[in-house]
Amino acid sequence: MESRVVNKGQISELLDKLAKDYNLIAPIKEETMTLFRRVSGAQDVLLDYNNSDISPKGCFLPQNEKTFSYMYTGDTLEINKPEGVQKTVLFGARPCDIKAILTFDPVFEGVKFGDEYYSNKRKSTVIIGLSCSKVLSTCFCYAMGGGPCDGTGSDLLLTEIGDKYYVEVNTEKGKALVDAYSQIFSSQGAEQLAKDKEELAKKLSGEFVRKVDLTGVKEVLDGNFELPYWDGDNAKKCIGCGTCTYVCPTCHCFDIFDYPTGDFTGDRLRCWDSCMFPEYTLEAGGHNPRPTRKERIRNRFMHKIKYHLDRYNMVGCVGCGRCVNKCPVNIDITKIINDLKEVAQNV
Amino acid sequence: MMDVIQQLREQAKKLLEEKKVDLVIGFGQGTELARTTPVFIDSPEGVSKLTWGPFCANNLAKYLTDYKNAPGNIAVVVKGCDSRSINRLLDDNQISRDKVVIIGVPCSGQLEWQKVSAEIKPGASLKEVVDNGDSVSVKTDAGDYKFDKKDYLLHRCLVCENPNPVVSDLTIGKEQPVKNYEDRFAEVQALEQMSTEEKNAYWDKQFSRCLRCYACRNVCSVCTCQTCVFDQMLPMWVSKRTNLSENTAFHLTRAFHVAGRCVDCGECDRVCPMDIPLRKLNQKIHKDLGDLFESPTPGTKPGLVSPLGEFSPGDPEEFM
Repeated sequence: MESRVVNKGQISELLDKLAKDYNLIAPIKEETMTLFRRVSGAQDVLLDYNNSDISPKGCFLPQNEKTFSYMYTGDTLEINKPEGVQKTVLFGARPCDIKAILTFDPVFEGVKFGDEYYSNKRKSTVIIGLSCSKVLSTCFCYAMGGGPCDGTGSDLLLTEIGDKYYVEVNTEKGKALVDAYSQIFSSQGAEQLAKDKEELAKKLSGEFVRKVDLTGVKEVLDGNFELPYWDGDNAKKCIGCGTCTYVCPTCHCFDIFDYPTGDFTGDRLRCWDSCMFPEYTLEAGGHNPRPTRKERIRNRFMHKIKYHLDRYNMVGCVGCGRCVNKCPVNIDITKIINDLKEVAQNV
Repeated sequence: MMDVIQQLREQAKKLLEEKKVDLVIGFGQGTELARTTPVFIDSPEGVSKLTWGPFCANNLAKYLTDYKNAPGNIAVVVKGCDSRSINRLLDDNQISRDKVVIIGVPCSGQLEWQKVSAEIKPGASLKEVVDNGDSVSVKTDAGDYKFDKKDYLLHRCLVCENPNPVVSDLTIGKEQPVKNYEDRFAEVQALEQMSTEEKNAYWDKQFSRCLRCYACRNVCSVCTCQTCVFDQMLPMWVSKRTNLSENTAFHLTRAFHVAGRCVDCGECDRVCPMDIPLRKLNQKIHKDLGDLFESPTPGTKPGLVSPLGEFSPGDPEEFM
């Protein structure tokens, strides 16, 4: 693996260039929120942030996506797909959020079904990750196989060390970008920074305060769908909003519907959906396979710590802590995991 | 604070032991030091889960409608603001008075847990919380912290109208002084000063951020429709698509649907994951109802008729 060095003083120059040459998506501050948005240059980009309020998953699975527009002329049905996707750079994504994109890949680029809307965006996007500099009390990426300085899934991973960024070149895509801006990415001093990065990773990995361990949890869920545990407080206190699913970087359920723009014209849209909503998978005949909050909560957490593993051998949670932070009633996936371990002792 | 917790547990235990209630809904320690979570206790042994302090932001009256048709009685722990919800739910015939035991706890303000958490050493465990009047001391195994209320209180608590429950069957804890806030509507007044264009720009920016997770609607104690118009598939009044037009339709409908019933508990504001200042919309309505109909905040007294729910020949009709 190759590595490079960028002086902090040159990061603005890099961002300005990227914004010129690519559709640049980066973290910004909007009032109190940290969000990923398209930026026109370095001036808007937030380099020092803990984690964004909403993950950058929308780069690949936007909350609203037009899949095609239709026009019925009486004899023919005309279908128009949106124009090709732009070359994009996703800058500043944290390791957990990048890992989350990896959990999307087998869903949308699977052997059986490919999703061109997703894969077109995935192919034309370069992911420049940014290592964390701080571990929050809600963070637990370490327990989901990640880490604050883990570059898995990124094309380039930047780690802030003193007045420099240490750059790991992880893919060919990343290499091509580094070569294209070779005046900014130097090789000088990279060996020392590599050691410093190791140190930083080690230091940060010791700062997690949430004790989470998935060992044995899937096994207990495998054999026990109807655990009385799911009737407990979580189902009672859940208010059934979609916050956890919308802030989650790995939640990827969507709904498809037609949005008429006239009598014979319209758009077919794909929009984020949430398994916490009562109309989620509600069938035309009126049957709802998940009629109460108990089934909905069970579905969400089973999806994270069982179903995604069953299907793709990947845990469906990356430990970003957003749902823990944002849930209005403090439903906490790390507590659920710990509770289930306790339940496992008695089944 | 400890004696309030002790009394809460004793009273809850008594209610459950004497079978006066089948369920106690209260606050329990959450998964962060400065956070609580709703707990549902159905046996006397479970009362040790109950806690109290400046991190009990949730309005638990919200859950009463979940048990509307359940057999047995329910006790619920409420602060002053939450108790307004109870009056409102009673007036809306959403709950019956004889099925609910209201445990009121006077409250001196709730702190924003994220702000407090950011100051405390991660992983520290809580030893004691002491209310000093203008500040709160949080004692942990990793040191003691002091938080000035003016900097850490939830927005809504800065202009609290009812620190003491307005309706309760038993009250636990010391009565809190009631303050008068001249500038209760200062933020709304600031918005009113804006030009139409400025107001539009302000709210467009806020509503554009909306994810339509519906946390504001779902947490609302007076949003009691069995099926919300925004969940209906046929006809689909608003789609799942988020855009300014449909987001605005949602927020304005929500605010106006609770007009005259909103008890100003501020939960919509607290739970919004995108920090949209939703309470300002409802506060504007409160201010107008006050100015036009001399209407007090809904829920402050039992049996208050909603100004938008009654007609009187003497009503001013300047717009006609």
